[in-house]
Amino acid sequence: MPLDMSYKGKSFDAFTFEVERGKIRELCLAIGDKNQIFFDRDVARATGYKDTPAPLTFATVMNFWGYPEVWERMKEMGIDVQRLLHAKEEYEYHSQIYPGDILTGVVSVESMRDGAMGMVAFKTTYSRGDEKVLTAKMTIIIPPRKGGN
Amino acid sequence: MFLDYDSIAEGDAVPALKKEPISQVQLVRYAGASGDFNPIHTVVEYAREAGLDGTIAHGMLTMGMLAQMISNWVGVKPVTRYGVSFKAMAKPGDVLTATGEVTKKYTVLNDKFADLSVRIADGNGEVKVEGKATLRF
Repeated sequence: MPLDMSYKGKSFDAFTFEVERGKIRELCLAIGDKNQIFFDRDVARATGYKDTPAPLTFATVMNFWGYPEVWERMKEMGIDVQRLLHAKEEYEYHSQIYPGDILTGVVSVESMRDGAMGMVAFKTTYSRGDEKVLTAKMTIIIPPRKGGN
Repeated sequence: MFLDYDSIAEGDAVPALKKEPISQVQLVRYAGASGDFNPIHTVVEYAREAGLDGTIAHGMLTMGMLAQMISNWVGVKPVTRYGVSFKAMAKPGDVLTATGEVTKKYTVLNDKFADLSVRIADGNGEVKVEGKATLRF
């Protein structure tokens, strides 16, 4: 199924994500990251943080738990979700993210390429009120069904 | 720990991080933590139907392990950018080691920056994820 190129440049509905202390802890435990700044408020404060900050890849939690509809959106766009490969993930950090933050996320389709090797880049911007806190860019590729790897 | 701009030099190594072997249970934990429930990471039969030998680690898990090396060194506050490319699949049993170095120091207006080149590879030296991070001091 070819990609529906009309999605290029389109933004999906905004979603809200509340940052929970337990999700920060859970992500770090899954990664095996025992850095106490992510677990212990006192350690975090002693090293210059307001509270236990979100780790560098916390946006993955925000993306999947905040906007699980992305899978449906991908199918609507003609992306074969069983074959897609994650090619790149890029973050720009504008402000620290802390437990209790209520963030608004908006996913947009930044670029698309159809053909034998399809490619789609999604950009998600997160803001806290009027303040932009993080930009996440995910690039996926959809390899050909035959003869690919 | 805080590093300051003057205490690092171009070519300095980021302290390397050797991880415990990836386990199947870790992939289940990571699925729950991240919300990425693609069964290719957790269900062996599904992964085999997809043509693989078994489950593969979430790319974001390996990116997270590589990030751990960076935040062990500088915390998260100085990091203004972090981006990676996924190069190869990691599997349960793989023992990954993250390495990196300072590639460039520079100032823009009054801000001081350092760029890092980072990667995480298995015991055979196969790079799974590689990328760059920018620190602002």
